[in-house]
Amino acid sequence: MAAWMLKIEAGWTAARYPYRNVVNDIQVPGIKEDRLDPVAGRDGALAGRYYDVAIIGGGVVGAAIARELSRWDVSVVLLEKENDVAVHTSSRNDGMIHDGFAARPGTKKAHYNVRGNRLWEPLCRELGIEFKRPGSLMLFSTPLEVAAYPLLADRARRNGVDGWEYWSRARVFAEEPNVAMDQHGGFFLPSAGVLSPYKATIALVESAILNGANIELGTWVTGMELESGSIARVVTNRGTMRAGVVVNAAGNWADVIAGMAGDRFFSLHQRRGTDVILDATTAPLQHHIMGRPSLSQARTRTKGGGLVMTVEGNILVGPTAHEMPGREDYETRAEELEELTKHVRLNTRLSMAQAITYFSGVRPCTYDEDFIIERSQRVSNLVHAAGIQSPGLASAPAIAQDIAAMALERVATFKAVRPRTGWLADRPAAPEPKRMSAERRSELIAQRPAYGRIVCRCEEISEGEVIDAATAVLPATNMDAVKRRTRAGMGRCHGGFCTPRVMEILARETGGPLWSVTKKGPGSELGVGPTKGPRP
Amino acid sequence: MIHSVDTDIVVLGAGPAGLAAACAALEAGARVLVLEREDRLGGILKQCIHDGFGLVRYHERLSGPEYALRDVDRLERLGAQVMQEAFVSSTRRVDNGFELTCVDRGGVFAVRALALILATGCRERTDRQVFVQGDRPAGIYTAGLAQYMINIQGVLPGRRAVILGSGDIGLIMARRMTLEGMDVVAAHEVKPEPSGLSRNIHQCLEDYGIPLELSSTVTAVHGTKRVERVTVASVDGSMRPIAGTEHDIPCDTLILSVGLIPENELAQSLGVPLDPATKGPFVDQTMHTLVDGIFSCGNAVHVNDLADYVSESGEHAGASAARYVARRRDAPVTGMATRTLVPVRVDQGFLYAVPQYIDTSTLTDAVMYFRARRTMPSGAVVTAEAGGKTCFKASYPLVRPPEMERFVIPHDTLMGALAARRDDEGLGLRMEAR
Amino acid sequence: MMECKEFTCIACPRGCRLVVTVDDGVASVSGNACPKGATYGAQEAVQPMRTLTTTVTVEGSSRRRLPVRSSADLPLSRILDAMAALDPIVVRLPMRRGDIVVPDLLGLGVDIIATDNLAAPTSGVAQDADP
Repeated sequence: MAAWMLKIEAGWTAARYPYRNVVNDIQVPGIKEDRLDPVAGRDGALAGRYYDVAIIGGGVVGAAIARELSRWDVSVVLLEKENDVAVHTSSRNDGMIHDGFAARPGTKKAHYNVRGNRLWEPLCRELGIEFKRPGSLMLFSTPLEVAAYPLLADRARRNGVDGWEYWSRARVFAEEPNVAMDQHGGFFLPSAGVLSPYKATIALVESAILNGANIELGTWVTGMELESGSIARVVTNRGTMRAGVVVNAAGNWADVIAGMAGDRFFSLHQRRGTDVILDATTAPLQHHIMGRPSLSQARTRTKGGGLVMTVEGNILVGPTAHEMPGREDYETRAEELEELTKHVRLNTRLSMAQAITYFSGVRPCTYDEDFIIERSQRVSNLVHAAGIQSPGLASAPAIAQDIAAMALERVATFKAVRPRTGWLADRPAAPEPKRMSAERRSELIAQRPAYGRIVCRCEEISEGEVIDAATAVLPATNMDAVKRRTRAGMGRCHGGFCTPRVMEILARETGGPLWSVTKKGPGSELGVGPTKGPRP
Repeated sequence: MIHSVDTDIVVLGAGPAGLAAACAALEAGARVLVLEREDRLGGILKQCIHDGFGLVRYHERLSGPEYALRDVDRLERLGAQVMQEAFVSSTRRVDNGFELTCVDRGGVFAVRALALILATGCRERTDRQVFVQGDRPAGIYTAGLAQYMINIQGVLPGRRAVILGSGDIGLIMARRMTLEGMDVVAAHEVKPEPSGLSRNIHQCLEDYGIPLELSSTVTAVHGTKRVERVTVASVDGSMRPIAGTEHDIPCDTLILSVGLIPENELAQSLGVPLDPATKGPFVDQTMHTLVDGIFSCGNAVHVNDLADYVSESGEHAGASAARYVARRRDAPVTGMATRTLVPVRVDQGFLYAVPQYIDTSTLTDAVMYFRARRTMPSGAVVTAEAGGKTCFKASYPLVRPPEMERFVIPHDTLMGALAARRDDEGLGLRMEAR
Repeated sequence: MMECKEFTCIACPRGCRLVVTVDDGVASVSGNACPKGATYGAQEAVQPMRTLTTTVTVEGSSRRRLPVRSSADLPLSRILDAMAALDPIVVRLPMRRGDIVVPDLLGLGVDIIATDNLAAPTSGVAQDADP
């Protein structure tokens, strides 16, 4: 790992120079870097097809871009290699809509974060998903840190953050009765919010689909063919298609995608983070996001982490941040879990004994540690939304606005771009019976008894909700996709009770044999065959 | 307004514990409503198609479904009110007992009862709680889930399996998977001793030549879509992997049999105090928890080995709840006698003992269950005493943590000892090596 | 030829550790706490016998499998043959505990009987049986 850090440090050092960006091809002995595995051809469904805009990457940024583009009368396709959206980074984060304070002033991160923060709440109303704004409290551990308040306030002001307050020690205790004793007041940013990042991604895609956008899952871009300085064809595992404009929103593979177009002007290095999820009994124990700022915040490359409440009522502890090779390596190491206990101490009523599970995510980072939101300088019809590390989720709607504008500007060079008539802002959300009043829930069940048959007893999810997920605008076709939409499988028993029941429903809805229901797409079937008859 | 149902006793769960409790309560003349979240009665026994059930209770060797059917038939004959696929969404105490908000295909409804019997069983420990590190491909199943898939759904979970844990469910599944044509490579147990019953080691592993590796654990699972191999390593005395002992086993299935956790979310939400040693409610010898009117039985109280004893605890809970309800109906609320509970104090030789309290007003014998903290191969002498008087003494040729033991203290000798004690003294249980 | 085997008795939950010496097909058992153990030990050392519990395929219902057992023990050495013989068996509901699914399996004098009651599907919900 020391050798790996040397490579990263070299990249950071190079980034200090006033070049456009850094490409780091240093090979570290013993570490084999990830390549996009060759993918077997699946079908020729995309052969010869044309779209005005092809977005590569079905994470929250790609999804938000698709929705923005769907406001216009242009043909859009979202190409995603996995068998659902939000499989990687977009479902592996704490869901926090940052206030915008942490990013260095003048960076794209700071700019897009603050813009995005303002956009999310009304956007969630349109998408039919929950948004909460608990605000973020950064606790001072020493009087020295309190003295730094003016510096913090100045940074918040320069970033254009929507509000900041100094809270005295007494005020902190009043707001957070369970806070640890060793605090000296805090810096409160009321604009910090939280949402479910995978539900948001799914909702954005569904909204785009309702407005005419297309999505192709299980679709890998394997190459691009250029002519006269622009992308003429996009080669995929499902045939070679054409696109007027290509948007690179490919997350941890954005540099590889850029390379396919001959425009690899940056390299990504991966920074892994782990969060621990505490059970829902912790929900009433805290009211605001809490953390401790580091006075060296300017020098640290990732926001320090803390205790983040989710919209579902859990508390997330973390994240950690470690430079690790592996673009999709989510292995969680025991040492990282131990690292997180320092955050838990901020709240006297929390402990790791309340942990139900943990997860890791990988941030795609450029060496200048900022977003890349720009048209390609070499390829005339390529736009990049790359290096979207934290605060990527918060920034997504704002990034989408600018990327969509860049794409449309190019589309306008070959066709008239008009607003889509009858564009639907609202995306109807599926019912969540558990959260309804008893009367309303009874009415719903009377209409559809399946809403009364509970299949996930940890999270109280009904058969009706699983069916809704399997038959939605962007349907869930595997177990993980059902989990992202309904939370079935996310409770204490980790799927012990609900797995067979969800399998039955998916098999029925997708029309396949029970054993062939997959966890996350072909190759991840839960069974290998029936228990009788010829053995597979 | 939602539909409301009134009854004397609600039994939550129609597995062996709840079935026995409901029968006992009905036989004692109480009105009983059974709420079961599945579409059939019998609980976990429906999928336990192997035999070995009923040796104590019926002196027969029955399969799980056969054992459950005895109680299901009896329940039917007693004319019980049963609601299947009914889910309890929330509960709260009300003036005269408890109110449960439930949901089923008919809608949301309320149930009001004077007493509750929590027979909610247990759930399986999963990889997260055991902190098996690694990717999350398909092919990782708890033993109970694999059992459901094979026995109820007819789905073969994989071709080649490694089992982590030597708990009974894992051992049973080692045999079951082998019979259904899977290759079971080995079972790995992190402790230096097996966790399951000796006869299961014999009939499920030795019969089929499946090795059991002790002091060994799975440290990583490999494969992005489906399990491709697992890494196993030997562990030291503190159950930590020993560097350099790792090796990989190619397989497509990892079965986890790493323990059971009593399900007590509902109990907690009602403020029922739980014993950290059992992870179940504190109970007296009639299976009455420390909250008046709430009873508990079966694996919700502590993880049992034998369904026979689960049924026994259910019978006690049902009879006790019926007596409680009769007293409530006969006396105004303010006239209810509070129980005099004497704590049971165990020494270091015990992992736990249930019940944790003795209600001195009860007229029945006290049935005690316990687990030893460590294996004592030459056996142990267990004594129960209070006030200097021994009210029970027995010699066990072998005690080990995985095998739960049971003994009965006759009522008179128990009361005699308790009467002789000081006020602050409890009933003391002692375990001495032979 | 004399052979010595050691194993745990399964006649009751006590699990005594038995030591059995077999001399010319005659077994002599020690370590048992009761006569059942002596009987079991002798049999186990010479020809182990086991109850077979498994499932058979159900047709025409969403209840895909019926649990069954052998009516008596059969030799351990024949268990896999028995499984193979039961593999193609298909039953239709209703089935009740005790119903004979296969009489005299493999000519071993042992029936395969149902161990659970599975009701016939209510009209209109029959589905393809095989998972």
